[in-house]
Amino acid sequence: MITPVLLTAAALALLAGPLGCFVVWRRMAYFGDGLAHSALLGVAISLLIGISNQLGMILIAIAFAVALLWLRTQRLLATDTLLGILAHAALSLGIVSMALLGMEDAEVHDYLLGSLDSVSPDMLPILVLGSGLSLGLLMRLWPGLLLMTTSEELAHAEGVPVRVYEFLLMLLMGVVVAGAVQLVGALLITSLLIIPASTARLFAKSPEAMGVGGSLIACASMLIGLPMAEKMAVPIGPAIVSLSVAVFLVVLGAKLLFDWTKSKKPAA
Amino acid sequence: MSKSDLLICADNLCASRQGRLVLDHVSLDLAENDFITLIGPNGAGKSVLLRHLLKLETGQSGSVTHREGLKIGYVPERFQIDPTLPMPVKRFLSLNNTLKPDAIQALAAETHCEPLLERPLAGLSGGELQRVLLARALAASPHVLMLDEPAQNLDVSGQLQFYQLIEDIFEKRDLSVLMVSHDLHLVMSSTRRVVCMYHHICCSGAPESVARDPEFISMFGKDMAQMMSVYQHSHNHDHHGHDHHHHDKDTEVST
Repeated sequence: MITPVLLTAAALALLAGPLGCFVVWRRMAYFGDGLAHSALLGVAISLLIGISNQLGMILIAIAFAVALLWLRTQRLLATDTLLGILAHAALSLGIVSMALLGMEDAEVHDYLLGSLDSVSPDMLPILVLGSGLSLGLLMRLWPGLLLMTTSEELAHAEGVPVRVYEFLLMLLMGVVVAGAVQLVGALLITSLLIIPASTARLFAKSPEAMGVGGSLIACASMLIGLPMAEKMAVPIGPAIVSLSVAVFLVVLGAKLLFDWTKSKKPAA
Repeated sequence: MSKSDLLICADNLCASRQGRLVLDHVSLDLAENDFITLIGPNGAGKSVLLRHLLKLETGQSGSVTHREGLKIGYVPERFQIDPTLPMPVKRFLSLNNTLKPDAIQALAAETHCEPLLERPLAGLSGGELQRVLLARALAASPHVLMLDEPAQNLDVSGQLQFYQLIEDIFEKRDLSVLMVSHDLHLVMSSTRRVVCMYHHICCSGAPESVARDPEFISMFGKDMAQMMSVYQHSHNHDHHGHDHHHHDKDTEVST
């Protein structure tokens, strides 16, 4: 059982690396949190109308992104305020609906913190396929996304459909959320995106290096963290995140030491 | 020259921001090998006009026509890169295009960016960044180079060097330049046409003839050099409430 799950986790982690870079560069961490919280509403809705969890979560993620993009054009409130309202509304509605639908507290807990129990085996190939397709799309969008992250005005002037790209980026984040909620848990999904990317930032000299580095670090955290959590019987999400934070701290320490020894050396 | 030979043709453009008319029936033509310097006080709608000419925005009435297949290189007024994005200059120049390494080298040589190629974009000085943005704007071999106050954050010698570079590029390349600039005295020799605007086009023409235009003189004063550092609008027809005093470059940058 553990092997297909590991494979799925690795596929999601590969996607989370470069996607997480955009979350870091474009300051979308709070958006990621909002998306992850809204996933609970997606679970409740899919339970209600009888579709798969993942589909429900992706639909809610799309609704969430569209609502945010539209509200933002109204210029009534700042984006982080809007996100706060949307995210907590979706989280609360999700948990209330789950309770009304008769879901056990333990099950809700699993969605919040991640658990292998809630992962259905027949979903795994679809998740691997979805991650692969999403990674392919991200690579196709990569140059345009990078340009609009560097300067939105320049990208616009050079013909990048900025709004479409922004929406697709949000959609890809929705895929990661939908794929990883049951594994890592809604509360910790964002860290799966931003911690590996931030770790890679410490040594990356180009955007591509940061993307690949993020992928490798996310993969390693998954592949080591999952079996470890199983063995120690601790919640999966917190175990994986703790591990990736440890990696971050080790790399940070190494970088500080490296910079310090370099500054000690007389300039050649 | 017939209308169809024009690179960009703006016809009676009107546009509003927050209910205020910022472009009031503006018409402007850009021909081949033209060099237009667009001047006017802050809030005159210069950047808005540029965004319309680039077709980044469309006005409420009027039209902008590009010659078929027109390529525009654009240097925006504001450019700020997030330091969390590790972006070497070299990568930035090849971003979202198919420039070969030797083409990047040539581009860097033309814009004096060669020593910067390996450096991260986030660590460049103001002058270095402007040269890199200029290189990026030239990457697609554009027919038109549009610059929005490209030297506003440079010191005096930096401004001189940057405008010299623009003039060199204008000499060597087959392109037209449309530049928003307050430093008219520094681009005088290349400028074919000065267009002076405050929501509408106040006056336009060759630098010498514009300088003799009574409307221009009443707007900018007699002394060209002084005009750019301290100028005051005192003409009284329909320019309600634009009594500007620009004391120095800093007040302009901060607005």
